[in-house]
Amino acid sequence: MKSSSQMRARLCGIVVLILLAASLGTLAVQAQDTITVGVVMPTTGREAKPGQYQKEGIELAIKQINDAGGIMVKDKGKKLLIKEVFYDDGSDSAKSASLAERVMSSDNATAVIGGYSTALGEAESVMPDRYQTPWITAGAAATSIFSKGYKYTFGALSPIVLLGDTTAEFLGSLVDQGKLKKGLKIALVVENTDHGVDYVNGIQGWISKHPGYFTVVLNEKFDLGGTDFSGLLQKVKTSRADIFLSDAHLQDYITMQRQYLQAGLHHQVISYGARGPESDARKALGQGTDYILAALWWSDKLPYPQATKFVSDYKGFTGRAPDSWYAATAYDAMRILAQAIQAAGTLNKSKIRDELAKAQLKGSLLPGQVLKFGPNGQAGYPFLVTQNKPGDKVDIVYPKDAATGAPVAPMP
Amino acid sequence: MAGNLVANFSAGRIRLLLPLLLLAVVLSLPATQLGPNVVRLLFGTAVWITCSVAWNLLGGFTGQVSFGFAVFYGLGAYGAALMINAGYSPYLAFLVAAGVAVLASFLVGLPTFRLRGPYFAIATIGVGETTRVIMNNLDITGGASGLRVIEAGAFRQLDHYYTAIVLAALAVAVSALIAHSKFGLALRAIKQDQDAAADLGVNPYRSKLWIHAIAAAFTGMAGGVYARYHAFIYPGDVFAFQTSISILLMPVIGGIGTVWGPVLGGVIFGIVEEELVVHFPNIHLLLYGSLLIMIILFEPDGLMGLLRRLLRLVRSKPKREHPRSPDPEQVVWGSSRAQGH
Amino acid sequence: MTAVDYLSLLISALLLAGIYAAMAVGMTVIYGVMKIVNLAHAGFLMLGAYFAFEMYDRFHFDPILGAVAALPVFFVFGMGVHWLLVRWLPKSDTPTLASLLLMFGLWQVLQNIGYLKWGNTAYSIFTPRSLSSIHIGEISLPKDKLVVFAAAVVSLVLLQLIFHRSWFGRSMRSLIQNPYAAQIVGVDDERTSRLSFGLGTAFAGFAGALLAMLYPFTPDFGPPFLLRSFVIIVLGGLESISGVALGALILAVLETFSINVPLPWYWHGWNSYYLPASYQPAVSFVLLVVVLLVLPKGIAGLLEKKWRVT
Repeated sequence: MKSSSQMRARLCGIVVLILLAASLGTLAVQAQDTITVGVVMPTTGREAKPGQYQKEGIELAIKQINDAGGIMVKDKGKKLLIKEVFYDDGSDSAKSASLAERVMSSDNATAVIGGYSTALGEAESVMPDRYQTPWITAGAAATSIFSKGYKYTFGALSPIVLLGDTTAEFLGSLVDQGKLKKGLKIALVVENTDHGVDYVNGIQGWISKHPGYFTVVLNEKFDLGGTDFSGLLQKVKTSRADIFLSDAHLQDYITMQRQYLQAGLHHQVISYGARGPESDARKALGQGTDYILAALWWSDKLPYPQATKFVSDYKGFTGRAPDSWYAATAYDAMRILAQAIQAAGTLNKSKIRDELAKAQLKGSLLPGQVLKFGPNGQAGYPFLVTQNKPGDKVDIVYPKDAATGAPVAPMP
Repeated sequence: MAGNLVANFSAGRIRLLLPLLLLAVVLSLPATQLGPNVVRLLFGTAVWITCSVAWNLLGGFTGQVSFGFAVFYGLGAYGAALMINAGYSPYLAFLVAAGVAVLASFLVGLPTFRLRGPYFAIATIGVGETTRVIMNNLDITGGASGLRVIEAGAFRQLDHYYTAIVLAALAVAVSALIAHSKFGLALRAIKQDQDAAADLGVNPYRSKLWIHAIAAAFTGMAGGVYARYHAFIYPGDVFAFQTSISILLMPVIGGIGTVWGPVLGGVIFGIVEEELVVHFPNIHLLLYGSLLIMIILFEPDGLMGLLRRLLRLVRSKPKREHPRSPDPEQVVWGSSRAQGH
Repeated sequence: MTAVDYLSLLISALLLAGIYAAMAVGMTVIYGVMKIVNLAHAGFLMLGAYFAFEMYDRFHFDPILGAVAALPVFFVFGMGVHWLLVRWLPKSDTPTLASLLLMFGLWQVLQNIGYLKWGNTAYSIFTPRSLSSIHIGEISLPKDKLVVFAAAVVSLVLLQLIFHRSWFGRSMRSLIQNPYAAQIVGVDDERTSRLSFGLGTAFAGFAGALLAMLYPFTPDFGPPFLLRSFVIIVLGGLESISGVALGALILAVLETFSINVPLPWYWHGWNSYYLPASYQPAVSFVLLVVVLLVLPKGIAGLLEKKWRVT
């Protein structure tokens, strides 16, 4: 090898590197008349669909706030518009964390909303305290994110353990009403993630506190993105359970339910955790989704006037009705953030953080109509249980005061 | 080997100077107030460079293409994470990470290096995915929920940055040393024709195991450095097939088999990839895939090859080869005695 | 588990084997003739699925018809890809890194095209047949899976016929055995390669359309099927199409039974211990590694070259 041409190759390489470094030195200076809110969500990859919905929810809120002139910031003496800086993390947790860092450091975001799904949420949640920037997630609900003593992390979703607990409580109420017998057997088949584990803990926690109601005869986890569940479903059959409880992502829900029905399985109650009424599932399974229960953070069937208004605003904004709960929690996360910024009267992130900690969003879309964060940063409002009804209908069946229809159990 | 080194150093002292200059520039960059975002990007790039250079030791120098380097990256990450969580110094944790990765490299290499070319590659895919599934289920390391890394003391970004840069520099130095040593020659011989090399007295099996260990050590340390910075790791991220592919792609894009090619590849991955994602979120896969296709079709030696060709043009030397005929130094697996081009 | 349960499981495994065989066949053809490990296979499967969806959505074609229609369309598409990209790859009698990476790049491009055209909705094809099964006692035979099984058998038989009864098949076989000798006896390497690539792509599109009947799909639909196709190729091979069938069968049976068969395990006091379902994916990969290491000559000629005393 000729040493001088090698040298030149290296020189070229070094020049390229230096040029790249120079081009990196772009410090974003925040324009004085906007508030930068970072949004780091997956719009491609495995979590693309819900990520897309959450992005839309946030953007609807931003649009409404900006149309009203923006957020009043006292120490600037005027209303400032919100500027959204959006990054798609492609459902990759390393990218998610990096982009969250980027938006906090380079784009100088005042706050960040992001992290759809537990893995992405966990990855991003390391950054808020590091950069002292408030961060709200409307899509990650694992308690472990909020149990690290972080100050700047907030979660607009109630914990999944509570989701499991509510499901079990609802089933218990069915027993009390006489719709189900006591002592039924449950088969638990959940996805192998934080979500699945928390769900199982919720269910088993309730069961141990209320002995005699149910027993768990099968407790299995499956890997995401499965192609064939025959082996697993065979195990469910062998366990002779009466109730089939699963916790899965949308695609696994569709695949498993199809194979479940093809195998001719039948149980008195079926639930897929936080999945149920999604329109993609309806399209894929037809009446195969009938009577499936889901425990959700929100439903468009909630009888609150602000919920109805949100549904019609969302339709106007995106051209379709909100699919399941994803957009609503993101919408309220943005609204509570705006409220906190206004209450703080300044763009100082630490003050905004303090306001978030004690903020209460009245007129929230979420069950209970108030959104507030607990001492560990995570919200804790009650869950809804919905049941798909024939004819593409969905009914809220629990709690009683929000119910729009009676639960049907056992399944016909 | 020592005699070789001495000869090289005195003859090419300038060769040392340029990289050292680069190192000095990079180490002093933070002082120029470029901001945490730039430091973050360079940090990430340094981690990728380390993995890329490490993979190239096995894949580029020795011609054994492994699709399973995420195993070492992930094991290094988890090893370091557990050590840091237990309160040990992060630098000790990185050494442990290297150790775990080296151990794993023997476990993987001992059986699989008996296989040739594509069969070795496919076996590494199997090993990689198996490891991911097992780690997804191991409760002591958090299973699919992942592991948090909790380090005592405040987060000092520059600490991480310097560690990563030093690691990357070390990797490049080791790579250069090996390239110019007798060991490196043996590796190249194995790449070109394993049986002929064996006939000439090289022990291919042992050499492969050793270079695999060195490569794994660096990749493991890179994983540890990554884990410490990101403070959260889970199997779907560090053990993913996509990660193995990324580690493989960098040296190919930059110039497989050279010393600086992987570095270029790492830079592209660390910096260009993110800019692509940020500015072209809808078509970044398209751009990336097209870049790859063009490199394969027009310049299989990657960017380094492109640079060399440009230089030859600049020096007005006539182009010697037809752009589409195979470059003799291209990596071809298996025994290619029958290849008659 | 009762005997009926075992039988039911076996039948599920058989049907799954049909699915796996259908999807691996395309990759096998391309690998055999051109020694290219086609990573873009996942992309072709994905496009096949969307093709079937579009046929169903716009023209109300039953997906089976869509699959059959996919054959010529993807045949031409495959030849186009070969003409545009693949023919420039250097030829070799063993797979090259260049071919691998080219196909990977192509896959990324196809994925992006998928996202641009169809977004990230999980599409599925829902026909009246989708949820119905034929029930024989306690055993259920889902109709869609039966269709796919039948299609797999047909495509394997068809390929077998092409390989052994046609002139084109003879050219392909000669290229599989020794590309250089084949050229010497007058086989047009380039043309046969192009036709083979087209054929492999056609079957990939066909399989993708069939898969669309069974699973929901998004543009990054493919990796689990791709990895399993790898395993099947290694297990089965290319000298005979029946190798694919055998490989698919072994994989399907192992996957389905591994979590249902009790393994005596000392730590549980020799009680029955079942492999947790979350380990199921590892089964195929462990199988892959074991087969590569342990079976020197084996089910297929593929393995015959790789084993050498080091």
